[in-house]
Amino acid sequence: MNGNEPLSLYSLNNLVRNTLAQGLPSACWVVGELSEVRETQAGHCYVELVERDEATQEMVAKARGTIWARIYSLLKPYFLEQTGERFSVGLKVMLKVTVVFHELYGFSLDICDIEPAYTLGDIARRKQAILNRLKAEGVIDLNKELPFPALPQRIAVISSSFAAGYGDFCDQLMNNPYGFVFYPHLFAAPMQGNKVEQGVISALDRIAENIDSWDVVVIIRGGGATSDLSCFDTYDLANNCAQFPLPIITGIGHQRDDTVLDAVAHTRAKTPTAAAELLIHAVAAQNAMLEDVSARLGVAARSVLETRRRQLAATLQRLPVSVALYLQRQGHRLDMWEQRAKAASPERILSLGYGIMRVNGRVVRSIDDVEEGAQLVTTVAGGSFTSVVTEKNKNNE
Amino acid sequence: MSEKPVSYVRAAERLEAIMAEIESGTVDIDKLSALLKEADGLIKFCRDKLYKVDNEVNAILQRMSDDLSVEG
Repeated sequence: MNGNEPLSLYSLNNLVRNTLAQGLPSACWVVGELSEVRETQAGHCYVELVERDEATQEMVAKARGTIWARIYSLLKPYFLEQTGERFSVGLKVMLKVTVVFHELYGFSLDICDIEPAYTLGDIARRKQAILNRLKAEGVIDLNKELPFPALPQRIAVISSSFAAGYGDFCDQLMNNPYGFVFYPHLFAAPMQGNKVEQGVISALDRIAENIDSWDVVVIIRGGGATSDLSCFDTYDLANNCAQFPLPIITGIGHQRDDTVLDAVAHTRAKTPTAAAELLIHAVAAQNAMLEDVSARLGVAARSVLETRRRQLAATLQRLPVSVALYLQRQGHRLDMWEQRAKAASPERILSLGYGIMRVNGRVVRSIDDVEEGAQLVTTVAGGSFTSVVTEKNKNNE
Repeated sequence: MSEKPVSYVRAAERLEAIMAEIESGTVDIDKLSALLKEADGLIKFCRDKLYKVDNEVNAILQRMSDDLSVEG
């Protein structure tokens, strides 16, 4: 190679290509963040991979990459199945790449494999960071601490009007086997992609305008477990939901780990149908309570009447006995009085040998009442006699 | 019912209180029929909440739908 002779651009690029091919391993694993993902009609996928400085978030490296259709048709569903996320912008990914340098197209990465576990780990870390922040701010359990309404009948539903979830929810609710009345009302919001956060927050704001008109908020989405969930893992959405003054029930149709939204919601249901079931159950519990009260009331009232009847019957039974006892007791008392009266009668006393003496009609009670020579009339049992006092001896005191 | 409308929760609480009074067995027999009548009314009120469409609620919802369509 002559240093003075200019190379053709192709030659230079070819030199770079060869040098790279010799100096690099045939394939290696690399981690980075997807900053662009573009699928072509032919089924290829062009991506842009970046690395940011952790502190400043400034980009420090960037590379284009290609996943050829043959590989992408396998990787795309595999990644979605493993992570629950679509292969899309913002995700941190671990890719197996071969560095290629093309004379015309320059530097790029041929992507031949992906490690979903890395992305899962990153999502989990990010979610945990949001949860930690909500916890530190003391809001994470606010919605859970709200009392659940006794009758959650007036339901503000946040969902997409196009998705099947809202229809399923309403069907389940309105065809409940008890015939309970519900009043669901849709507050439409996108349930997919990067507009979810703003859409749901705006719906919450609209619900809050007439907060007294609602018992409960339900956020639902149909579509099963295979749609991307990262849109429900944002701080602002979680913060708004956690602080919302009505209990929020989620049913965003996924089977794997809770999203951040699920974590702050009052109650998490797996699907829109399950969310409807939960509400029906709550009302059914009240229904059962009313039936129970109704039955118990009858029993209790009959029991009160029965007790009173028995008390009355017992009283009536005791009454004749009481009367007889009373009369008997009174009879005894009369007998006693009679005895005592008899014992005190003058006739009885005279018959015992006592006499009553009178001088001039006055009863003699002491020696002072009589004088010598006085005429004394003495009454004894059977009659009286008259005598004269011949001698008077007063006791010496 | 001619009584002023009460909330379901308060009606349910009152029902519980009446239950407790009657079940205690110390209830005045002269009050029993009045309590039963009140409880019956409350149960009907509560059941209606569960099973009967509340036109007032529907009217509010209708108004909200109108608002939404006005907003576009």
